[in-house]
Amino acid sequence: MDKSPAKQARDALSADIAALAGGEHDALRRIYEATSAKLFGICLRILGDEKEAEDALQDVYIDLWKRADRFDTSRASPISWLATMARNRAVDRLRAGGKVRSGAVSEEAAFDVPDKDIAADEKLVLDERDARIHHCLSKLEKRQQSAIRRAFLGGATYVQLAEKDDVPLSTIKSRVHRGLAKLKKCIEKP
Amino acid sequence: MTTEAAPDMTPRELLATEFVLGLLEGEELLRARAMLARDPEFAEEVARWEDRCAPLLDSFPPANPHEEVWSRIFSATSGDVEDQSAQIVSLAKARDRWRMMTGLATAAAAALAVVVMVGPGAEKSTPIAPVTEDQPLLAANIPIGDTPLRLALTYVPGRDELSVSSAGLTADGVHDHELWLVDRQGDLHSLGVIVPGEEARFAVPDGLADEFVDGSQLVLTREPLGGKPADADAGPVVAQGQFQAI
Repeated sequence: MDKSPAKQARDALSADIAALAGGEHDALRRIYEATSAKLFGICLRILGDEKEAEDALQDVYIDLWKRADRFDTSRASPISWLATMARNRAVDRLRAGGKVRSGAVSEEAAFDVPDKDIAADEKLVLDERDARIHHCLSKLEKRQQSAIRRAFLGGATYVQLAEKDDVPLSTIKSRVHRGLAKLKKCIEKP
Repeated sequence: MTTEAAPDMTPRELLATEFVLGLLEGEELLRARAMLARDPEFAEEVARWEDRCAPLLDSFPPANPHEEVWSRIFSATSGDVEDQSAQIVSLAKARDRWRMMTGLATAAAAALAVVVMVGPGAEKSTPIAPVTEDQPLLAANIPIGDTPLRLALTYVPGRDELSVSSAGLTADGVHDHELWLVDRQGDLHSLGVIVPGEEARFAVPDGLADEFVDGSQLVLTREPLGGKPADADAGPVVAQGQFQAI
């Protein structure tokens, strides 16, 4: 009974996604109100263009309307699922528009991770387990961090990272692989 | 292929992580998508890493979209329900016409020509025009490897069936080829195993009709006879193409 506000927000969001999967259209409005600022923030930073970001956001909620039944309630967090949808949709648009090479999210922006200010949206505040990725990523070598951040936050592929850093593809892959192995070890540390 | 497994990570986990981070391109990406669609353990790994990485997105500050975005979403999602009944009559007519005309078609080229004939350009003033303007007929013509052969696909909205012609293709007795639709999430959906040299009709799986749009990606993989075994990854991609509205 003693639920934290974050847990309550997650449960409410999960319930709304389930209602949406059951065909309750009003649930989409509630989900939009609870999450659109967060998801739009993601689209906007990745795409760097308000109009493109709004189009991506629109796609995310229309997809959600069609695919709410695909949300697995056993997953850690409905907001993580939605944020990932928004990230993927924005990156798709970025690639379709050929913008990755110019990099809507600069390396500096990708590094701009003020850990202690994470909880900008109080209702969907993350718990400690979620924050582990921030901590563990910060423990990697700078070049490993940079590659992982530019991929996930900036939409860069291996090929683009290799081109940008002017190194062979095999070098960038080994670098990322070593980084990911360390990342996994850190995240899974009891 | 990834160069080598990172220490302490299985190749499957590494591929899942690379997929989540968006590092993959080309054949590696298609392989990961095929595994996501068919390999529950891989899908679980992807979900786990998505949940792990998603908090990184919290470094992006929230921002408010214009109010009209919600209006657009509202009408796009409400419209689905309201338009359906209005379109049923027109779709039924389109379907009947399609059945009648495709009954005459025996080869890929002929089938494609028929589709072109009943396309929106030629039918603006008929009852099916309103439907085809919103949901155009789709065609894809996929070259097979370095051969001059092509796989010809046609899809009529509302029909839930895909016409597939593989004229000229011959069976090698060892492999089959399986056709997949890549949905907007990047997931692969099997449409069926190609019967070499024949005109076939594939039923569109429930709920997949929405993914048949202009630009939808199609992938052909090489599989053991009978198609991809349930407990195996999808085979190598031998051809790919996309639907175009006609």
